[in-house]
Amino acid sequence: MLEISHLTKRYGNVVALDDATFAARPGRLVGFLGPNGSGKTTTMRCVFGLVRPDAGETRWNGKPIDRSARLSFGYMPEQRGLYPRMRVAEQLAYFAQHHGMSARDAKAAGTRWLDRLGLGDRANSKLEELSHGNQQRVQLAVALAHDPELLVLDEPFSGLDPIGIRTMTEVLRERAAAGVGVLFSSHQLDLVESICEDVVIIARGSIVAQGAIDDLKRSSGRRHLEVEVEGGDGSWLDGVGDAVVLERTNGLVRLLVGDEIDLPRIFDRAARAGRIRRFTFEPPALSELFMEAVEPDPGHEKVTGARR
Amino acid sequence: MSPLRSIWLVARRELLERGRSRAFLAGLILTEVFIVGGLLLQAALASQQSGLKIGYIGSPPPVFEQTIDAIAERNGVKVELFAYPDRPTAELGIKAGEVDGVYEPPPDESSPGVLIFKEGPDSRIREAVNQAVLAIRLANSGVDLRPPEVVALEPASAEDPTALIIANVGVIFLFISIFSFGFWVLSGVVEEKQSRVVEVVLSTVRPRDLLMGKVLGIGVLGIGQLLVLVVSGLIGARLLGSFEPPPTTVPALVMLVVWFVLGYALYSTMFGVLGALASRMEEASNVTMPIQFLAMGSYFLALVVVVNDPSGLVARIASLFPPAAPMIVPMRTALGGIEFWEILLSIALTILFIYGLFNVGARVYSGAVLQVAGRMKLRDAWRSSR
Repeated sequence: MLEISHLTKRYGNVVALDDATFAARPGRLVGFLGPNGSGKTTTMRCVFGLVRPDAGETRWNGKPIDRSARLSFGYMPEQRGLYPRMRVAEQLAYFAQHHGMSARDAKAAGTRWLDRLGLGDRANSKLEELSHGNQQRVQLAVALAHDPELLVLDEPFSGLDPIGIRTMTEVLRERAAAGVGVLFSSHQLDLVESICEDVVIIARGSIVAQGAIDDLKRSSGRRHLEVEVEGGDGSWLDGVGDAVVLERTNGLVRLLVGDEIDLPRIFDRAARAGRIRRFTFEPPALSELFMEAVEPDPGHEKVTGARR
Repeated sequence: MSPLRSIWLVARRELLERGRSRAFLAGLILTEVFIVGGLLLQAALASQQSGLKIGYIGSPPPVFEQTIDAIAERNGVKVELFAYPDRPTAELGIKAGEVDGVYEPPPDESSPGVLIFKEGPDSRIREAVNQAVLAIRLANSGVDLRPPEVVALEPASAEDPTALIIANVGVIFLFISIFSFGFWVLSGVVEEKQSRVVEVVLSTVRPRDLLMGKVLGIGVLGIGQLLVLVVSGLIGARLLGSFEPPPTTVPALVMLVVWFVLGYALYSTMFGVLGALASRMEEASNVTMPIQFLAMGSYFLALVVVVNDPSGLVARIASLFPPAAPMIVPMRTALGGIEFWEILLSIALTILFIYGLFNVGARVYSGAVLQVAGRMKLRDAWRSSR
């Protein structure tokens, strides 16, 4: 288990991390979410000893992370980069050896991952001769070749085409299923929602939400109500109570409401206004949970009682 | 994983990647061409100079031969003596170009004899023969011709022109080698920052081990190149017979290698550390300007001041200043103008300096190498270091 414990880091007057605390369980895909500049990269750099926090610590399996622990980690930094003029296979072997593998094992592992990622025929190419997407695959292979127990990936999906996204997803799922800890940051919230079990949301250096996505949704206290009434003029809305109107077009109304709302009453009112084509009541999407967590005051139109 | 293994992996990568690079191979070939070309040129010049051939009708007396040899040695000219049985054969020899001039001694001492040339007189031969004839006459009149015994109050500075050439070429060569390989460390550091690979590397390698491995790997390459060139130069010189190595050659070459190692370690560390402050290659030359001044200053001090007075006060002081020592001390050694204890002291001071430099430098390097945006200040790098 990766534990981030009360990390604080300041750069001059800028607070990059402010008492950030969370844990990432192995065997699960953990999405690390937050707006730009919220402290994701700094947190990851702390894990790898690239940034020394002013306070707090990082632990792996209960022990403070040191150099030897990091040998069993795999890292894909936000700023991608490998040696441009080094051959791909040699590059992989080089980094795997730095993680403590013997020269022979490192070479074999490099070859295995290149084949797995569809780059087997490019083993002897120089990195700079590869396309951007393929360079990104090599970068992933560098993070994976030494068979790490923990993967920390900074925006692994950014810049990937749909095929690249699928490959990345498969690999991350497979690693998690093998019991590896996987923490990755991303701005693609729908993607995160579809592949992750857990998320950690950071804003202004502090953790504002964390846990299983399902639990977060359930406990959010907000629900999405989507109602489509044929021919209705929408006047039935007047009796709904406190709600945020998200969308209102041609008889379709999307509302953000509390989970204690009196559903049967709304249904009755809508049914009386016209024929109901759709009536759904769902927890919010991850993207909404995210917005809510990082920006508590959304700029939506708010209806209180009778308002159109 | 031990730091030694990290350093070894980094050094090996530098060695393999750069040893195979076109830049290294081209540089090696180019310097080889210079060395071989230089030797050929020297051999050609030497063969033009060689060859004062003097004929003597009859058999030359020992005093004549000794005097001619002494004059030849003093002027650095090779002289060969030919003996002819009579004047007609000698004249044929002159016409055939066998000899440049022939001396016909007088039958008795009433006349000075005749010096025969093909065309106008060669002044060098005339001087030499004049003196030799004088010597014969003095010897015949019973004068002791042995030169006085030499007593020197101070050890002589080398007058041997070969030593001077070796000293000059050695220092130029050192300067170029130290600078070019030091510059490789600089460009390696900046490239790692620019390509952002450094963040991946540093997730397992300590910054100081990365710097150390880089300096070592490129250094081994530099020593390799130096040895190839020195050995090929010596072999070439021997094959062409272009010059007789003076007695200071071997210590001078040992010094060359020792001071390359020290000078390279010192300058490449400085290059690596200051290079880490830059984030692009264009900034690197600005950032390393102080190093370039330091190296240039030491270089010109060696070539202009120390060469004329290798045991003077300036030379002695500069030898104790580590950044200058790699240029100054080999120059003084090649000229024979340095005491052994001075060399040892200078080496010791330089090693100490490199040790301190590396420890200070590694901290700056750690602080700066992850700062990928813009140029960093030395002080900030020191402070932000882990």
